[in-house]
Amino acid sequence: MLAKYVARRFFASIVVVLGVTLITLVLMDRTRGTYVPGIDLNPSLRPDDIARLRADLGLDRPFYVWYLTWIWGVLHGDFGRSMIDGSTVMSHILDRLPNTLELTGTAILIGVVIAIPVGVVGALRRGSKTDHTMTVVSVAGVAVPQFWMGLILILIFSVTLEQRGLPWLPSSGAYSAVNGGDFFDRLEHLILPATVLSFFYTSTWSRFIRSSMLEVLSQDYIRTARAKGMSERRVVYLHGLRNALIPLVTLIGLELPGLVSGGLVVEVVFGWPGIGKLAFERALQYDYTTVMGVTFFATMLVIAGNLLADLLYGVLDPRIRYT
Amino acid sequence: MIGPSRVAELDLPASGIETGAGRPAQSYWNESWERLRANRIGMIAGILILVFAVIAVMAPLFSAVLTHYQPQTIDLSATFRPPVSPHFLGTDELGRDTLTRLIWGARVTLGVALLTVAVSLTVGTAVGMLAGYYGGWLDDVLMRLVDTVLAIPAIFLFILMSILFRPTPVSLALIIASVGWGQVARLVRGEVLSVKQRDFILATRSIGARHLRLMLRHLLPNVLPVLIVAASLGVGQIILIEAALDFLGLGIQPPTASWGNMLTNAESYFFHSVWLVYFPGVMIFVTVLASNVFGNAIRDAFDPRLK
Repeated sequence: MLAKYVARRFFASIVVVLGVTLITLVLMDRTRGTYVPGIDLNPSLRPDDIARLRADLGLDRPFYVWYLTWIWGVLHGDFGRSMIDGSTVMSHILDRLPNTLELTGTAILIGVVIAIPVGVVGALRRGSKTDHTMTVVSVAGVAVPQFWMGLILILIFSVTLEQRGLPWLPSSGAYSAVNGGDFFDRLEHLILPATVLSFFYTSTWSRFIRSSMLEVLSQDYIRTARAKGMSERRVVYLHGLRNALIPLVTLIGLELPGLVSGGLVVEVVFGWPGIGKLAFERALQYDYTTVMGVTFFATMLVIAGNLLADLLYGVLDPRIRYT
Repeated sequence: MIGPSRVAELDLPASGIETGAGRPAQSYWNESWERLRANRIGMIAGILILVFAVIAVMAPLFSAVLTHYQPQTIDLSATFRPPVSPHFLGTDELGRDTLTRLIWGARVTLGVALLTVAVSLTVGTAVGMLAGYYGGWLDDVLMRLVDTVLAIPAIFLFILMSILFRPTPVSLALIIASVGWGQVARLVRGEVLSVKQRDFILATRSIGARHLRLMLRHLLPNVLPVLIVAASLGVGQIILIEAALDFLGLGIQPPTASWGNMLTNAESYFFHSVWLVYFPGVMIFVTVLASNVFGNAIRDAFDPRLK
């Protein structure tokens, strides 16, 4: 049953993948052929030089040839070469991936660690002052623009603290260019961007856990557990929380692609050398191959994340049957 | 979230029936409206948005009567003025009046949000309705399309498209809606699938109603609550996306003022004109906050099951 389900999902995924690459490609094709990246850097190029450059980059081939060549490469693990610097797209991705994982991984971890207790307390003391305060904070957390919060944090913790002669936090990059790169240096750089990202995750997830917990606590089996004299602590944590956390798995699974794309805006604000920033910069430079490679990579993560979340869901909740 | 007053509200019809007098049976819309009105915080948020909308619509009037500046008027002799009269919220690097630009920025923000919602709802409803109603291969094709659109990380799609299509308020709305319709389609399809099983649809069909009539006159009204909830909860998200794209330089292009692009060069002002960083961000925050709170109130009012 499960194998059949996975197989079916797998085939559905292939359709989606083909669709995604086609959409990306059609978007690319709209500008492909009108512009050779970097051409404006060299005004002395003659028209036949430009034509040769375009032929080199494969821009003169019809778009289905280009697409099939690209797909064929991807099937062999080859994402092609960047149109700007000629190095492989894969090397760019692998170069930036650790930084992105460092940032978003930390943020998701902090998010989960804070959101669970906050959500549980909110549900247990529903309607209390604590609950109201946390509700207000999380409602604000979902509404604040990430890039603006980033700017304000830079203003406070980098600019103002430095002006006052106090210890301040770096506002840009993942490590210091000079003598940097050790653990504490990286940690120092991580604090501000991770705060912005995790604030968002915490706000979303704590609301989610709160309502999930409230729903679970109203179930019959919780009443049964209480009726047979189980201690409140055991009822809440053993029977309540365990079940309330199941939906969180889906949520985090859906966040898996966010590992790559979720931090894009934050990466740009904090100059964090991650994949999101790579895609953003390269898109501005019309580096199609790099953008397509990153988009494809991120889409794979979306599909894998969705599938993983669904399967984990079944492991955690045996009532769920795959059909 | 609403407190005891709402419970009392819900109890009323029952006691009315017992005494045989009291209020007549309420329609779904009346009842929802009553519930919404009882939600004080939600109503405040709604009124706030309404006020912003009025200001946005009457922006030319405001800049003529209140601020006496135009959003694009450059005055190089008055750059980086602090927020004192006659520039209530200061001026930017080109001496443009911040308050005026914020007011005109509201037009962009709310206009784009409104158009995005309208387009997503229209396309999403049509697709979801067709998929849910006809089922079969059409359902498969349409839903795989939705899966595809939703599988691409939205931010990449936005970046790609805003590079390819020069962003104007209209094209920006279409770009954001190009993802939004997918979620609406899923919602509508799910709702249609359940509603079309009900007896009244069978009854209507058996007296000879055609497909189009069934969809528009009988299914659509039943999907409407879901649509209203989706629309009101989506506005905040749309405003945030639009602001982020503007900030990245991929959205509304200068010199047109938008709250997002007013922050694009914010880092350069940290040392002398902090207010330029504060105000646009606060506007985005307050508007999104109000939209979300109002959206939640709408959801609670129209769909009490979801609470």
